Amino acid sequence: MAWATSNISAAMVSNFFAPAAALTYTGDTVNVALYNNSVTPNKNDTFANNAYAAGTWAGNEISQAGQWAAGGVALASKTNTFGSGTAQIGAANTASGNNATLTAVFGCLVYDNTLAAKNAFCWNYFGGSQSVTAGTFTVVWSGSGILQFTIT
Amino acid sequence: MIPLLRAQTRWECPNCPATHVTAGTGAQLPFHECPGLRGILAPYVEAGTRCKVEARDREDYAAGELGLRTDQDGRPVMSVVTTRDDGQDCAVFPAAASAQQEG
Repeated sequence: MAWATSNISAAMVSNFFAPAAALTYTGDTVNVALYNNSVTPNKNDTFANNAYAAGTWAGNEISQAGQWAAGGVALASKTNTFGSGTAQIGAANTASGNNATLTAVFGCLVYDNTLAAKNAFCWNYFGGSQSVTAGTFTVVWSGSGILQFTIT
Repeated sequence: MIPLLRAQTRWECPNCPATHVTAGTGAQLPFHECPGLRGILAPYVEAGTRCKVEARDREDYAAGELGLRTDQDGRPVMSVVTTRDDGQDCAVFPAAASAQQEG
């Protein structure tokens, strides 16, 4: 299998109602780790398996020390907003160092790096294979945020 | 009194006349909606850089993804690639992960 869409896990939503871990978006360090196309993101997998270095996210990470290091780059200027039937989290664009060489990057995992279990908030698909050579890799987050809940 | 000179970084776009100035060095890469690149959000490049900046259409189905960036014709764009003499930059545009509750 491979990447097909950006998504969250149902278990992450369930965690709101019976917290097994205190996912704290604005208070904790939240990292963005990059992956190749050999992962199989699964919205029905467990909360424990949708975490950094667990489940399908164990292995297949794309990284380069000093540029986009293993474990990912921390989000900056995080926001948590709601209104007009939506709730969303966002952040400033996330960038590597300016001498990165990263090949065949297909998507990223956004996870709570403060928690020991490193549970994920969501994963975001880049729509195809992305690469940089001796340059800067920048994730420009959507105007709809990194993750959005819509109540209609 | 010694005047303090504040460094500036000057930016330009190879696809349109837009320019930009940021204070200091190492500032986060600035972007603009580029009329010369199908209206897509595109990065500036440092003034004087020999390069080309190109949009890459999404290679997979949109699949109902929320918040995809599109060009002026509504085509989903997955990234903008800047190719320099000595390397290549890439800005990617992921959708938002989303969930919907219907009342």
